[in-house]
Amino acid sequence: MFCGIDLGSRSVKLVIMDQEGVKRSEIFETVQFYRNYGQPGENGLIVDFASVGVGKFDKVVATGYGRNTINIVGATVIAELKAHMIGAMWQTGLTDFTLLDLGGQDSKVIKVRKGKMVDFATNDKCAASTGRYLENMATVLGISLAELSSYKENPVELSATCAIFGESELIGRIVEGYSVPELAAGVNYTIFKRIKPMLHSLSSEVIVFTGGVALGKAIGQTISSELGVEVVVPKYPQLNGAIGCGVYSWEKRG
Amino acid sequence: MANIGITTTVPVEIILAAGNVPVDLNNVFITDKEANRLVEGAEDAGYPRNICGWIKGLYSVVVERGNIDTVLAVTQGDCSNTHALMETLQLVGVETIPFAYPFDRDYDLLKLQMDKLITALKTDWEQVMAVKKRLDGVRSKIAEMDRLTWQENLVSGWDNHVFQVSCSDFNGNVNEFEQDIDQFLLKTKSANEFTEDIRLGYIGVPPIFNDLYGHFEKMGARVVFNEVQRQFAMPYQVEDLVEQYRLYTYPYGVFQRIEDIKGEIEKRNLDGIVHYVQSFCFRQIEDMIFREKLDIPILTIEGDKPGKLDARTKLRMDSFLEMLR
Repeated sequence: MFCGIDLGSRSVKLVIMDQEGVKRSEIFETVQFYRNYGQPGENGLIVDFASVGVGKFDKVVATGYGRNTINIVGATVIAELKAHMIGAMWQTGLTDFTLLDLGGQDSKVIKVRKGKMVDFATNDKCAASTGRYLENMATVLGISLAELSSYKENPVELSATCAIFGESELIGRIVEGYSVPELAAGVNYTIFKRIKPMLHSLSSEVIVFTGGVALGKAIGQTISSELGVEVVVPKYPQLNGAIGCGVYSWEKRG
Repeated sequence: MANIGITTTVPVEIILAAGNVPVDLNNVFITDKEANRLVEGAEDAGYPRNICGWIKGLYSVVVERGNIDTVLAVTQGDCSNTHALMETLQLVGVETIPFAYPFDRDYDLLKLQMDKLITALKTDWEQVMAVKKRLDGVRSKIAEMDRLTWQENLVSGWDNHVFQVSCSDFNGNVNEFEQDIDQFLLKTKSANEFTEDIRLGYIGVPPIFNDLYGHFEKMGARVVFNEVQRQFAMPYQVEDLVEQYRLYTYPYGVFQRIEDIKGEIEKRNLDGIVHYVQSFCFRQIEDMIFREKLDIPILTIEGDKPGKLDARTKLRMDSFLEMLR
């Protein structure tokens, strides 16, 4: 049994798996995870796996935003983009595709050919195309993230140059009398506009869509209809990085 | 003898021939212990937050450090923000001299610019050419240092960067600079060979980060080509000084730079290119041209304020090396 951990900016994803599939999974808030199960040691962060309560495993592989700053004692640490690519290949069985991962603070686009990363792009200096933006907007609209991400018809025009200023822009539109579904569709469409240039330059016929944002249907459908591509959302979009870590542990073993 | 601040590489021969001391304001800014504070100083004076960090640093170096007599500002061929830099310096009483590289590399226009600079600084072509001969000797030593970097693998990317970037003003003292490079070359002969598995080229303006080269080396890669820095060192040794500054690629269009880069990718056997862009710089747009025209993996890195690499950028650098492997 293997353990894969993806230390994201907003949540820590953990899976216990073997070649047959995912046996258990947990998602923790990042700060809570460090506070409840982490302890700084001489050689990095010591994670109290017994308290996490995920049972026994033979090996731990970790990745995530903390890769440069946090070393988990006893774990092999691999590059984030690599973990996501391996996870997407294992989950979909595809070897030629473009991976789009929209997470808490990150947008990643990875072009994969014959099972190898040939190019990538990530957001930089700005989180306006990420889950954090959606979370803020859902709060302003007073709906859940799941509900927000289901609307795609009649999107209201939003510029969303900034995840923070987006809030006041949205409030302005509410005052103008637009309905919640139209406003939510507008929010989803701004995410699409933000990632479109990255998907254009790293295009494939198939887009594998992962990360917490992929849980909602609207953005994937917009990508598919506007770009004329097939969008595949794997079974565990949010756990994809952690699964990549799990897969890496036996691939490297053999 | 006056201290002439320069905003980028200019025909430094003219400044030296006139008996003045060239001071590359960029180098003063970036090696200042309080480089970040210099940026903040310009913002306090009213510079917008979303303007290039280098321009703000240059402004504060002149205004706060107080030992610059005149600023020679390149108003065409480097950065249009320099126009406003000149104007805001004039506003606080600093004397400025404009210098423009003609966009189309026109020989006569460039010569006219140099003539005017010679007149402004009260020297003549004879003295300028004598300085050129003197500098040719120093520049050939820098070229040797560069060769030792990519061909013999004896020089780090950082040392290669520092020596070449310093050729804009020779640290204000040609003799001392020559002693430095002599000592370095002597020491390098017995240095250990670098054995990294990935060879990188660095293109774009010099980085505002101070640990970029070191981080790559820590991750098993080395920069063996510094594009713009090498241009600052005038790698094309020609008799005619006007021609020398015509062959210099940086101030003109991007396509000539691409020809230079293509040749060096081949010659230096590069695995990948790092394109550094400064936040809010027009050169960010040119990234799409490099990606279209250069058939090699490219990582684009963006920097804003001086200091260390941020975690996101490191993550992208690591992923790039992973991809090349």
